[in-house]
Amino acid sequence: MRKIYKAHKIYILPILAAIIMLASCKTERVLPVTESVKDISGSWQVIRATRNGTDLTNIIDFSKFRVNFKDGAYTLVDRLPFLVNKDGAYTLDDPQYPFKITFIATGAQPVATAFTFPIVNGKRQLSLTFSPGCPNNSYVYVLQKTN
Amino acid sequence: MRSYLHIKGKGLWKFCAFVTLAILLACCGEEIQSVDQPSTAVAGSTITVKVTVNIPTASNGGPDNLVLGILVPKAWNIKQNTTITYSGPSGSGIMTPIQESVLPKNGNGLTWAAYMKQTFKIAGNLIDDMEWVPFQTDKGYTHDGTTLSGVLNIQMKVGADGNNTLCKLAYVITDTGNGFTSNQFGTYYSEKIVEDCFEVTGGSGDLIDFCNPQLTIVDPPKSQDNDLVTMTFDGTVASTQLDGAPEVYLCATAYTNDGKTINVCEQTDKTKLTQTSAVSKRYQLTIWPHTFFGLTDAQTIVKMEYFLTDKTGTKKVGYGNTAAPFVYTFKCQ
Repeated sequence: MRKIYKAHKIYILPILAAIIMLASCKTERVLPVTESVKDISGSWQVIRATRNGTDLTNIIDFSKFRVNFKDGAYTLVDRLPFLVNKDGAYTLDDPQYPFKITFIATGAQPVATAFTFPIVNGKRQLSLTFSPGCPNNSYVYVLQKTN
Repeated sequence: MRSYLHIKGKGLWKFCAFVTLAILLACCGEEIQSVDQPSTAVAGSTITVKVTVNIPTASNGGPDNLVLGILVPKAWNIKQNTTITYSGPSGSGIMTPIQESVLPKNGNGLTWAAYMKQTFKIAGNLIDDMEWVPFQTDKGYTHDGTTLSGVLNIQMKVGADGNNTLCKLAYVITDTGNGFTSNQFGTYYSEKIVEDCFEVTGGSGDLIDFCNPQLTIVDPPKSQDNDLVTMTFDGTVASTQLDGAPEVYLCATAYTNDGKTINVCEQTDKTKLTQTSAVSKRYQLTIWPHTFFGLTDAQTIVKMEYFLTDKTGTKKVGYGNTAAPFVYTFKCQ
């Protein structure tokens, strides 16, 4: 009788340990993270500009130039050379992961360009590369929201 | 004494062997021996250039292809307008343009063209509208201790843009195994700048002078009225009426596509050129021609004539320091 008890004791301990270990494991569900929709609505101003690599930021007065995005439309204020010369509509290729923006000026063909949308010093920036004049002359405007 | 000499002689032998080895290894870099190039040509014609090269090789290396870079104005577009053959005791073949996807070994990710420009700049030309165009041989060669020599026969179309041009052409060679590197064993490239300016004549466009300092420079060299255009007046090039003038102004006339003439000749902030530094005698103004001349959306500027004036507008400097205006044509080619 005593032997049987001892034998049981030998089995019970590892079983208990196994139960405790199994109970300690908990399946964690990885919730899919939803990428936020990139919203470029607002008023943007040029904070840095280059032409063929030459810095133009302090050579041309960009202080009044604005690109305003709202509800799928854009307006230009105090125009400077840009992808388009008139107000119109815009679209992003992907609302969550946009790599391309298309401007459709009123009465003109759509003009698309690759753009980046980084956060710098806590603020969103919009970097656009384009050629408003000769195709060999490449301009980069880095824009930042004014508000 | 004898023993002393014997020991020294032994050292001397070692030294000599080391020096011989070093010379053998150090010898092994490509070299342009000569460039035979005409001094002038008609716009749109094809010229023949002969580049004689000498390639000493070390043992156990390769096979590598010989790379040739040619510095020319971008507008000539010689990548599409050039054929190159080579011949020498080791054989003959052709050289073809290196595609942009093929990167040089030691170029830190740059293309061959960018690697050449970073290393050799624009060879003394004054307007940065030149490009290096890279070509490579169809066959490789091994580094087996022999010296290869031969001639590269270049047939290239010059002045494809139709502009009369003055520029310095340059040539560089290296091989695909080394790139533009130097080390204790040698220098694996060679550059030859033809210092005498090559002249393209008979063209219909403006003279583009890459060689000689100009009183005024327009940047970008090729632009349209929707570009931002920087005009520089360089008072160090020649003595003019504007010597010592504290302020310099632009006096310009635009000729539009609808036959209109728009004159902007005022001495205000709009036309004022700013001196780049207190004593530089270099003055700059960047304009957006579209608004500078107040164009309508339908108008474009074909060409612009301009002078530089003082504050009163009475002292005027024109092309070549004469009373004739500078002329700038808005075009992309």
